[in-house]
Amino acid sequence: MDFFTAMTVSSSALTAERTRINLISSNLANANSTRSAEGGPYKRKDAVFTATTMTEPFAAALSKAGRGLEKVNVSSIVVDSSPPRSQYEPAHPDADAQGYVAMPNVNVIEEMADMISATRTYEANVTAAQAAKSMAMKTLELGR
Amino acid sequence: MAIDGMFNTTINLLGRSLDLRAENHNRISANIANAETPGYTPTALSFDKELQDAVRSRGQAAPVPTHPRHIPLKGSLMSLDQITGTIVEDKSAINSLDRNGVELENEMGKMVQNQIMFSTSIQLLNKKFEGLKTAIKGGV
Repeated sequence: MDFFTAMTVSSSALTAERTRINLISSNLANANSTRSAEGGPYKRKDAVFTATTMTEPFAAALSKAGRGLEKVNVSSIVVDSSPPRSQYEPAHPDADAQGYVAMPNVNVIEEMADMISATRTYEANVTAAQAAKSMAMKTLELGR
Repeated sequence: MAIDGMFNTTINLLGRSLDLRAENHNRISANIANAETPGYTPTALSFDKELQDAVRSRGQAAPVPTHPRHIPLKGSLMSLDQITGTIVEDKSAINSLDRNGVELENEMGKMVQNQIMFSTSIQLLNKKFEGLKTAIKGGV
């Protein structure tokens, strides 16, 4: 029940959103990579967000019938297994006998939209953390 | 004048409201943090009515629990210290594909409102203390 709890919650979301933005960057950067370490074209990656209850002994003691506070963390990074998009490009070194190249399953427009949403959520969490900070500072100034 | 009267109900009430607003901010932060978590239901802390009831019942005897495992009497008058608010789940907005009920704009609005109310309580407390100081110094 202090402001550090709010800070912990907000920063967990900042970390999660940053992970997501990193993955989006990776997807965008490799939108045309036809070769990867695993073989075949690059495969799109996505972060899985999970709400985790804060295991704080004091909060647990205080928790009444209601739900505990939940922060967010990235539980896993999943590889999108949807089929690669094939593009007709006979001159490409990775083209098959019919002249088609297996391109990564990355949709650039989708990634851009995802990036905007991640950025906005990141900003919202920064605002929440700033609010917690200003409330804490005001409390310190009490009675001055 | 009794010295207890110096820090009277107003100061206690404002202090309690600060506590509750801080806890409410934690709730709103958790909702904003989980704005993109699939299946998350937002929670809110509801305490307005309890606080109002406690103010209204000022001066009347409230049953005080003398043991930590006593169940507080619902609907009866509660003293200020007993008010912890109730956590409510907002299930109204779950119509999105990922079953996430958080409306970011709504939460941001609630956060700003909560922050303003917090500042109000702080300012009122400051004025209250200032008044006491003036009285102690004899108006100089």
